[in-house]
Formats: sequence, structure tokens, C-alpha cells
Amino acid sequence: MAILFKSLRLIDAETIHPPKDYMYDGEQIQVLNPKIDKEFDEEFDCADLLASKGWIDLRCMCGEPGLEFKESIESLGAVLQESGFCKGVLMPNTEPSIQSKNEVQFLKNRSQNLFSDFLIQGAATKNNEGEDFTEILDLHNEGVTIFGDGIKPLSNPDRLLKVLQYLQKFDGTLFDQSYDPLIALFGHVHEGTTSTIIGVKGIPSLSEELAVRRNVEILRYTGGRMHFQTISTKGAVDIIREAKKDGLNVTADISIFQLMFSDEDLIDFDTNLKVMPPFRSKSDREALIGGLKDGTIDAIVSNHQPQDKDSKHMEFDLASFGMIGLQTFLPAMVKLSLELTWPLLIQKITSGPERVLRSKETKFNTLTVFDPELDWDYNLSSNKSNSSNSPWFDQKLTGKVKYVVNGAKFVKIHE
Amino acid sequence: MSQLSTRHLLGIKDITTEDIQLIFETAQNFKEVLNRPIKKVPSLRDITIANIFFENSTRTRLSFELAEKRLSADVINFSSASSSVKKGETLIDTVNNILSMKVDMVVMRHSSPGSPHFLSKNIKANIINAGDGTHEHPTQALLDAFSIREKLGDVAGKKVAIIGDILHSRVALSNIFCLQKLGAEVMVCGPITLLPKHIASLGVKVEYDVQKALEWCDVANVLRIQLERQQIKYFPSLREYSLYFGVNKKMLDRLDKEIVIMHPGPINRGVELNSDVADSEHSIILNQVENGVAIRMAVLYLLAGVK
Repeated sequence: MAILFKSLRLIDAETIHPPKDYMYDGEQIQVLNPKIDKEFDEEFDCADLLASKGWIDLRCMCGEPGLEFKESIESLGAVLQESGFCKGVLMPNTEPSIQSKNEVQFLKNRSQNLFSDFLIQGAATKNNEGEDFTEILDLHNEGVTIFGDGIKPLSNPDRLLKVLQYLQKFDGTLFDQSYDPLIALFGHVHEGTTSTIIGVKGIPSLSEELAVRRNVEILRYTGGRMHFQTISTKGAVDIIREAKKDGLNVTADISIFQLMFSDEDLIDFDTNLKVMPPFRSKSDREALIGGLKDGTIDAIVSNHQPQDKDSKHMEFDLASFGMIGLQTFLPAMVKLSLELTWPLLIQKITSGPERVLRSKETKFNTLTVFDPELDWDYNLSSNKSNSSNSPWFDQKLTGKVKYVVNGAKFVKIHE
Repeated sequence: MSQLSTRHLLGIKDITTEDIQLIFETAQNFKEVLNRPIKKVPSLRDITIANIFFENSTRTRLSFELAEKRLSADVINFSSASSSVKKGETLIDTVNNILSMKVDMVVMRHSSPGSPHFLSKNIKANIINAGDGTHEHPTQALLDAFSIREKLGDVAGKKVAIIGDILHSRVALSNIFCLQKLGAEVMVCGPITLLPKHIASLGVKVEYDVQKALEWCDVANVLRIQLERQQIKYFPSLREYSLYFGVNKKMLDRLDKEIVIMHPGPINRGVELNSDVADSEHSIILNQVENGVAIRMAVLYLLAGVK
């Protein structure tokens, strides 16, 4: 296979490069040498397009096994591919949880023919209940290097401490969405003026800040590696910035939707906006932007959490948390590009996640090509997910992935 | 103006000051009707109203039912303390089942904040919120403000202290919105654990000492301790609450001014309010109940006219 991408502007963590012709030979991508006379199977005029190394999502949820009606392995694969992501880290919160060799092998088998690669966050505790450890070394033998309880925090400090110690045998990383579940108990939205107006119990920023502070101190004691997922508060950004300065092996990500909405958007009880962590205040958003710019925050994630209609089309306090966020990821980045540079945004879904995964790829063998100005309808016919719990569903969005290369695989998303 | 700006009454924050004034004028007329020998008017003949109560209620449901019957509406009642959700049926299914019997208006009480808003986006009937969890109870706030106006001549410029469990109270939130729209100053007072942390951002004064709140206000609206809505511990005991946050006659005797005492009921006598206050000349608690019927008649009548 030989493909020519003509006049492509490539973005890396530093800059947007001037347009060049790039060729893909079925294995790698390289700048076309005009002296070489080569025939191509396909040629694409990319004058109006942008591109970068293939994208990586550090946090998405698959419903299989057990909750296939929300998202199956096949549908998540289609969503990742359609959204331009070459890799996705799956959370372990399935039924059963991804907690033994069996589930890992099942996922590997079922996903081997998909375009995008699935990485697995193995459960740190059985059924993600935060008590008994899973067989971490056995899971590691199956290739799992990331552990955590996904949408559930490791709230017991002793369990967290022991997991951080145990993972050091193979230099594994603990992923944790840190918040204190007792401080957040019965909360549904960010605690602030809006929660007061709508009479819904709030989740104070304190719940996240306390847990992040505590976990940083535990990490200081144990050593090891910890990745904080979907932080949402100014306090958490400050604590992680300090921890990095102190030389701890700490990384962090945020959900892209945390930058698109604030708690004020919850005024109409839209259950599609009920997410965990909740949308915080505008000043928290400013702090997250600051954290992205100064490197405190390494990655932006989709936090893709599919929920079927019956889990969302109901009373606000009874509705499940979560929002799907992969197919809308590029349109969200397009909106953010008015405020943040493309190199910064691209860094947070390429080299940033690579740093978290410690998987620095030296070969240039992945590519996501996209049109930042193309409008498309996000609706039942374009949706690849088994769920549709997005506040942007049935809207016209701007920004569409066109072509993706993942090693030996190439796909045309949109012509 | 002779028509409301909305076809539902979901909360006070969603209606205008003009809407409130129109409801008051209409309620005033209905109050006169209620004092006639023949108390029934044909205004809502051929209109069917469903009172759907997913939470226990005696006085609000009775008040609505009486208001509906005084207006000659056809009334059906559905009460289920344990909501149908527990039987596997969703709120939408329950309500649609009732609506398929050709119901024009729904009066709903539900434990989930925002449930009437959810319903309003999914069914055709007019909806009146009769209390949604810890969010709003608009007709209670309207009858409270109407009763203040009746007693003191006006609401504007008056100082109203809302005392008690503000955190779990839909009455408090609706009262704050309503009183502020009508130009009153509002204070909330109670144990700090029962005051929402960000309540001051709504533009109300915050006080932790009940005696000081009584000294400040013209009207004290004392709220019921919502033990049924407290999922976790907020104060040590009812005894301590009544000693430090209850209102009794001695406290009123220390004031050298007139004060109006209100309570949305049902009263926990001896807890938030002593009998020597509830039954005193300061209390307008039974006027509130009477005005409740007139206010609800006004709301039903006006909403029936909005297509």
C-alpha cells in the first residue's frame, strides 16, 4: 500500500509545520522525497486539512462484558476509529470487572481485528469495590501495566498505599479518579450557587482536593507512579503542580468536557450534563487551562461513558453519571482552538498520553488527518456508539476526522 | 396582563413578578368567592386534573383538591409514597398512563428535584409543581407572600427571616425567590449544617442566632425540621435543636415590636415551634392554610387559560 497525502500541515507539540507531501508505505509515514519517482495507490489533497500523530485516549469505557447494550467492544472500536483515536485505555468497570486473566484475554481476543488498539486498565481491587486486591502480578503477565478502579476512587488509604507499593515490582502505574466519597455522598452536581438554586445536593471541590492531597502524600511515602484522572478543581491542579516540582512520579489528565461546560449549565436539570467529576466553576476551568499550559496536566481525555436511554431519561437525581465524548472530541477541540493553540491541544492527546503510558514511539507510524472546518450532523445515522448520551446529540458540529493510519492499518473516515 | 407568561408552574424562579401579581389579584377574587355561601364556580368545568403525589402529603393535596373542586374541575388522585419506580415503572410511564385517560393538568409532588421540569419536556399537559424534593414548592411560597401582603399591606420593604432546616427545604428556596421578586429583604437562620454553603450567593442575609433573627425581622417563617429528607446526621438531637433553634414565647416577649409568625406545616410542636407561639396572636398559620386554597385556585385557573 502506498498513499500520498499532499500539502499536509502536520502539528506536533511545538508547532504547525508548513504544508508538505507525506507518503505512507503501509508501515511508516515520511516526508516525500521529490527525487524519488513513486506510484501511489491513492492520493489525497490535504491543502485544507491538519494532521498529527495518531491520537491516544487515556480514559474511555466499554460495556463489554456485561453491559454491551451501552457499548460493545465492536461499537467502541468503531467509535474510536471514527473519532481519530489509534489507542484507547479501557476502564475496568464492566460486569464482571476486568480483574483476572480471563477478562483480559477475552478483551484481547475480541478486539484484535479492530482498527484502534485497546489498552487495559486492570482492576486494582475485586469488583472495583476498593477492598480485596486483584491478582495484579498475574494480570501484569497478561500485559497489563495500568491499574485502578476506573470510575471508582481507591478511597481506602491503606489499599491505595499497598497498591502503589505492589505495582513497583514491574514499575506499573496507578490510575485513580481521586475524590472522597463520603464528602461527595449523595451529591449530583458541583456545590456552588447553581446547586443551591436547583436544590440538588452538591459535591464540594473539597472532596477532590482532600483526596488528591492525601494520595500525593501517600505516594511521597511509598514511591511509585500515580496518574490522577479527570481532575476538575483549582486545588487539585495546585497540589499536582507542587508534587511535580517535588519530583514525584505524578501525571494528570482532565476530561475535555470539563473545558466545554460549567456548573451553571446544569440549571435546567439536563441529565446528559450529569457527569463525575461534576462540571465545576468558571474559575476552576481557568485553573485547568493554566495547568494544561504549564504542563501540570499531561493529557486531555474523552472520559467516554456510554449510558443507555433508560439510565438517563429520568429524574435528575436517579440518572446515571456520564457522557459519551469520543465522536465529539474533535468538534470540542475545534471550539477550544479559539482559545488554545493546536500544538498544545495535540500534545495532550499524543506526546502527553505517551509520557503517561511511558510508550514513546520512535517510529512515525500513526497519523490522524482532520478537517477543522467541516460541518457534520451528529445524529442517529452518524453515531457509532450504542448510546447517545451527549448534550450535542442532534446538533450540527464542526470538525471531522478524514483519514487515520495506525501502523499497518489505514482507514478513510470521510471523503 | 391577564395571562401568565408560562404554561407550567415549575418554580418561582421561572415566573415573572407580573405573573406573581396576577396570581395575587386572581387569588384575591377567589378568596371572596370562598367566603360566599355558594363557594363553587364553573371556571374549570370539563377540565380534568390529576393530582399525582409520589411523596406523602396531607395538606397540600387536600388544598389542591379543594381548589380544583371549587373550580368545578374533574379530579383524579394518584398517591404512592413508594414511587412506581420501585415497582419497575418509570415516572414517564406512570404519568403517561394517567394522561392517556385524557387529563389536562397535572399537579405533581415528587422527591426528585427537577422532576416537574423533566415531565414538562416530555408530556403535553400543564404541570404544577406541588413540591420537588429539596428544590421548589411554588404554591407554598405564593400563599406565604400573599398572607404577608394580607397581614402587613405589602411585601416590598419587609424583612422576612426563614428559620430552620434551609438545606432540605423547598419552601425556603421558593420563598427566597418569591420574596426577593416582590422586594422584601430575606434572612435565613439555622444551624450552620442545615444552611446551604453557598446560600449567601442568592443575596440573602445569613444568621445563626434565632433571637437575633427575630430581632431583625418583621416576619418569621419557621420551617419544619425535615427529618425524612435528611440522609445523614446534621445535628446531635431534637432536644438540642429545640433548645437552641426553636422559637418560643419567651423569645417573642423579649422583642419590643410586632412580629408575624408563619409555618408551612405540619408543625413539629416543641421542636421548631412551641405551642405558645403557634397558637398566639402573632401566628397567621391558619390564614396561610385558608389562603392556600385561593392561591391554588388562581394558579389552576390562570394556567388553564394558557395554551
